[in-house]
Amino acid sequence: MKLIDGLFDKLFEQQTRQLAQRSSRRGMLKTLGGLLVGAGSIPLLPVARAAAAESPGHPVEEGDPASCDYWRYCAIDGFLCSCCGGSENTCPPGTEMSPVTWIGTCRNPADGRNYVISYNDCCGKSSCGACLCQRDEGDRPPYRPDKTNDINWCLGTTSAAYHCSTAIVVGVAFESK
Amino acid sequence: MKTVLTMLALLLATSVMAAEINPQRAQFNYQMSCQGCHAPDGSGANAVPRMRDYVGIFLSTQAGREYLVRVPGSAVSALDDAELAEVLNWIVLEFAGNSVVEPFEHYSAQEVGRLRQQPLNEVVQYRAQLLAEIASANLRE
Repeated sequence: MKLIDGLFDKLFEQQTRQLAQRSSRRGMLKTLGGLLVGAGSIPLLPVARAAAAESPGHPVEEGDPASCDYWRYCAIDGFLCSCCGGSENTCPPGTEMSPVTWIGTCRNPADGRNYVISYNDCCGKSSCGACLCQRDEGDRPPYRPDKTNDINWCLGTTSAAYHCSTAIVVGVAFESK
Repeated sequence: MKTVLTMLALLLATSVMAAEINPQRAQFNYQMSCQGCHAPDGSGANAVPRMRDYVGIFLSTQAGREYLVRVPGSAVSALDDAELAEVLNWIVLEFAGNSVVEPFEHYSAQEVGRLRQQPLNEVVQYRAQLLAEIASANLRE
């Protein structure tokens, strides 16, 4: 038993000495520092940013929000707020966003996924008149009122005057596998 | 042995109940069929009734429970019976808050399929009458 203990002692002593000769305390600090800085920079890489952008409110996007071809406008029928002093998400100054809205899905060509789009109208001023778009994909006749864009959706606002339409991403479509 | 069996039965019941609601699917169906008027958080808008912290009140009577299915937004929606049952259960769990008296018995596709055969016509009037009945029933308790 003593013999084995002695052997182990020798072995460990030898290895520890070798390690001490090969490495330095500075080297250890350098490696550790490198690891720390490296880990910090990972979220800056494009992959990490793409993952963060995938949340429903901010999908990765391409295209011009001031053009009828923009992916979110697949079911639109009206003037683009992007051409009227607002944006695809916001109403122009002096108008009020309708809380009552019509909702559909559009396929985002940037990632191939379908998103739930809410076409909130901006109300309180007469028609904007710029960028009239009528794509109507998925539009249904008025007997299915929650899926028709032929009615004035300025409901629940102080004024029923229609000015322009937004197209807000409110979620990701559920797809059964 | 009896305890083990009861526990097994309970476990089975919860797993079946859990399987009934797929939150992603339920929320998507809510967004597509309800959210446009009832708002993302169920708070409603002007003439659109509020469901948040309120909808559970209807579950305190049988007529009220049936009302949530027979109301046109539910009864004539494009959702099938199973989807409608799921979205109703999701609405109660998500929005009802303290307005629901536990335990909440989940709607089944069969129950929903039967009740939606009688959609309501005079909804506003019927709803007011129903709420008055529920209020007086609560007062008697």
